[in-house]
This record gives sequence, structure tokens and C-alpha cells, in this order.
Amino acid sequence: MTAFIIRRLLWTIPVLLLVIFLTFILMRQIEGNPFRQTSRAVPPAIQRNLERKFNLDEPWYVQYALYVKGVFTFDLGPSLVNRDRTVNDIIKEHFPKSLELGLLAFIWAILIGIPMGVIAALRQNSAYDYTLMFLSNVGYAIPSFLIATLLIYYVSLKAGLLPTNGWENWKYKILPSFALGLAPMAYFARLVRGSMLETLQQDYVRTAKAKGLRYRRIVVVHVLRNSLIPAITAMAPLLGFIITGTFVIEIIFSIPGIGRYFVQSVSSRDYSVVMGITVLTSVVIVLANLVVDIMYGILDPRTRDARS
Amino acid sequence: MTLDPRDAVATGGVGELVPAATEQAGAPMRQANLWRDAWRRYLQNKGAVVAGAAFLAFAAFCLLWPIMSPYDIKEDPVNFSEAYEGPSLQHPLGTDQLGKDLLTKLALGGRISIAIGIGATLAILLIGVVYGSIAGFVGGRLDNIQMRLLDALYGLPYLPFAIIVLAIIGTNNLWTMVIALSIASWFTAARIVRGQVITLKENDYVRAAKAVGARWYRILSRHLLPNTLGILIIAIFLELPGVILGEAFLSFIGLGISPPDASLGSMAQEGRAVYRVHPNMIVIPSVAVALLVLCANFIADGMRDALDPRTRETKEH
Repeated sequence: MTAFIIRRLLWTIPVLLLVIFLTFILMRQIEGNPFRQTSRAVPPAIQRNLERKFNLDEPWYVQYALYVKGVFTFDLGPSLVNRDRTVNDIIKEHFPKSLELGLLAFIWAILIGIPMGVIAALRQNSAYDYTLMFLSNVGYAIPSFLIATLLIYYVSLKAGLLPTNGWENWKYKILPSFALGLAPMAYFARLVRGSMLETLQQDYVRTAKAKGLRYRRIVVVHVLRNSLIPAITAMAPLLGFIITGTFVIEIIFSIPGIGRYFVQSVSSRDYSVVMGITVLTSVVIVLANLVVDIMYGILDPRTRDARS
Repeated sequence: MTLDPRDAVATGGVGELVPAATEQAGAPMRQANLWRDAWRRYLQNKGAVVAGAAFLAFAAFCLLWPIMSPYDIKEDPVNFSEAYEGPSLQHPLGTDQLGKDLLTKLALGGRISIAIGIGATLAILLIGVVYGSIAGFVGGRLDNIQMRLLDALYGLPYLPFAIIVLAIIGTNNLWTMVIALSIASWFTAARIVRGQVITLKENDYVRAAKAVGARWYRILSRHLLPNTLGILIIAIFLELPGVILGEAFLSFIGLGISPPDASLGSMAQEGRAVYRVHPNMIVIPSVAVALLVLCANFIADGMRDALDPRTRETKEH
């Protein structure tokens, strides 16, 4: 087991280097350097100084090495637009809000999605099953900006129950996190249902029934535990949903998170911020995959060798 | 009981039909049966049939209505006195901020969204087939390098990746959206194709083809790729919803299709400014997006059951 974890940890390093490299190459492809273009053009002498300051006069591989060093020492360099702020400052200010939003959405997804899947599977082909699966199909298809707008319109504007936008106390957090959690919720419900149905067919469940165990005990001890393991692998696509969703949700609810800042930075061509946020998000994804693989390895020993 | 000769052969039935049937090559005969069986299985799935019909109907509406409609979104004069009207006989869905017919506008937006969706999906499959079949067919070290590169690409977040690609290209229109969305999401298709090619490569008929001296390109084009067709058709409808939603999100946050062109996503973005007073401006295009995505998901389910019976059996246990 330890060998598996160490192997998996070491493997993360080249993946991270490659992800940073890809982001770096991509960002270099965007026309020109930020000081030469647009209204922020400066005299040639200052421009040379600026280029030296940001190492833009070095060859690309030196720039890449410096950037990698920066990422691993948690220094993502200065912002190109707000020159008195560093990318670190910006991330420190905005990232925690996005993280909180994402985690809350995830909690919604677990609290509602998993029971939905369990009920649908236990009452397979009943009205419950059909209703829940219809809801989950719809929830999966609705773009988050529609559900967010409807929630604001009916809950905030018509009923006046919750605030329309902002990010202050818990009241502000209910609607955005629910809107963001809807797609993962639907995804969980479908996944758990499928996995439960498969587990219910297993021999050990039949044995448990045959020896006269109570149904409730069979479900809780034998079925539920084994069918929730596949739900862990679903974390990777779920993280994708949530990251994509934060961009939209943060804009609709005016939440000062990292997604909204990213969109603003793209418009203002603040490339060091765009790159910093992309690298940060990539690191989050790579680390999440690492955690999922290790958890899966612990819970299901059969996967250890196959996945290494 | 059908009187089709191919059925008769399959069931070992009417003797006099056998010679006629054996004149045809064996492979196409079975193939015809495979596709017909798939079609029959698809028709058994009511949800998928309804979804398929709805999808076709919406696509036909988007294609034809702007031609038949009495309104011309680009040419009609701006008419503020008719702005934000509710549904009426003249305007079944009401009018927008410039007094233009929303139904016609919806069809035009749907055109762009569906075009981007289909274009990007085909591009995803093209990249996926090339990349995946090279990795799976050549194997060895090249396969290893290609898969490690994919691992890293999977680490890039989808939406920021697409946004950066758009920034590199520098302009936002239908074609650049297709490029950006497909570059940001071809990885799964490549993995699927690679897996399928590797599985097929071990089959006896491929070994036999090699043994009689078939060249690699013949094996690839004649034996391997045609057998990935079923999986690719399923993949089309698995990728389509993601791409349609991706386009809607990008345009909604203002980094996708921009005026004077309009997609469903950019219509929703326009509607966002006035949703407190005129919620239908954002609800109408968003519901259209949801409908397309919902249909594509149901079609994908139906296709999978029809073309990949293995998964159907495990599902129906």
C-alpha cells in the first residue's frame, strides 16, 4: 500500500510540470507581450526595464524554469495590470470564496443526490424511481445560469426570502451553492442508482437475504457501503462541473471569487493573473485526482496494481 | 415473421433462399443485420425516440423558421415602442429590447448553437480518432508518451483552457468557438478510440489479415476503424451536450459569440441585464439550451443501448 501511494505521489510531479509547461506555452502564444500592446504602451527604455523586471528578455526555457520555481515556492509573480498587487495577493483574497462555494455545492450534491439515487434504486421501476430519474435528467441538462436566474427571481425578488447577490453571511450562500450543486447532484443520483442496482444483484446480498438478515441491515451494511465506492471516482468529473460552474455562478451572484476575477483578467489582458489562476486550478485538479486514486486504492485493493 | 432472405439464412430457414444469399459477401450481410438490430433496439427505447424526434424538430425549426418567418432580425428597423412585448399572435414568444421577434431570434441563435455543437463534436472525434488510433495501433513507447501527455491535458480546467485558446486566436466567431471548444475537450474521445483499437487489435481476423500480408493502413482502415464506428456514434451524443453547454457558458460570461451574431448563450447574456423585469428574455434561450442537452443525453442513452448491447445487459440485470 505504501509503495502504491509513493508511486502515485511521484507520478504527480511530472504531470504537474507538464501541466505548467502546457499553460506556459499557451500563454506565450497570445500575441505580443503585455507592455507592447494596448493603451498601456510605454517608452522603449522603460519597456526594456519592465521586460527585464519580468524576465521577458530571457529565452523561453529560462522563463519556464523561473516560472516553475515560482510555482513550487508559491510565488506567482506580479499582476500586470494592478502593478502594486501580486498574483498571490489576488489568489489569497479571491480563492477562499470560490473554494467555499465549491465545497458548499458539493455538500448539497451529497446530501440530496445520494439519497435520491438510493431511493430510486431500492424502489426500482416505481413512480419514485421514474420521478427522481426524470428530475435528475432535467437537473443535469439545465444550464446553471437558468437555475440561478430562476432562484433569484422567485426566491429573492418575488418571495424576498434571501439576498439576490453578494457573499457575506450564510443567507448569501444558500442560492449560489444550490445552483452550482444541481448538476453534480443529478450526476450523483444517477451514478448511485446504477451502482446500487448492480450491488443488489451480487451473490453476497442474496446470501445475506437467504440467511434471514433484515432488509434494512442488508441495505445499510452490504449494499450501501459497496455501492458508494464508485461514487468516489465520480469526484473528478464533478470537480470539472464545479470549476466550470463557478465562473457562471460567481458572475450572476456577484461573488468576488476567483472565477469572476479570471473572466475580468482575460478582458483586461492581465496574463500573469490568467496564467496563475489556470495553474492553480490545474494543481487543484491534479491533486484531487491524486486523492481520489489513493482513496480508491485504500477502499478497493484490486485497483492498486492496475492503476499504477 | 419477416420474409427477408437474410433472416432466413440467420435462422437456417427456407432452403431455396440460401444460395441466393450466399452469393453476397458474408461480412456486409452481418453488418446490415447489426445496424438493423441496433435500429430496432433504439426504437424500443421510448425516451430516446421522443428525444430524437424533439431534437430533429428543434433543428428543423432553427433551420427553416428564419426563412419562413415574416420578420428579419438583421434588416427590420429598431422599434422601441414594441420592445419587451409579451407573447401575442404576431410574436408568439414576445419581442426583445429592440422590438424584434423573439421566436425568429431564437431560431437564429439555435442555428449558431447547434452548428457550434455539431462542428466541435465532429472536430473532437476527428482529433480523437487520429490521436487515439495512432496510440493504440503503434503502441509501445509512443503510446506511453501520448497517454502521459493526455494525463497532463486532463489536468487543465476545461473552461479556462477554452478561454485561453480563444485569446490566442484573438477573434470570437462560430469557427474559432468550434476550434477552442474542441481543443479543450478531445481527450476522452482519444482514450475511447485507443482502448477500442487495442481491444480489436488482438482479434483473430486482424491476425489473419496480418498473416496474409495486409499492410498496416489496410488493417487500420479496413478492420480497426470501421469497428469503432458504433462507439464513435455513441461518443457524438455524449460529447454534444458538453459542447453545447460549453458554448452557452462562454457566451454567457461574455467571452464567446458576440453581437451582431447571437447564439443561445449570448441571448441569455443579453437577457441577464433585464431578468428582474423581463425574465422571459433569459428563460427562453436557456430553456432551449436545456432542451437540446436533455435530448442529446437521452439519445446517447438510447444509442448506447442499441449499439453496445454489452452495457445494456449489465444495466438490465
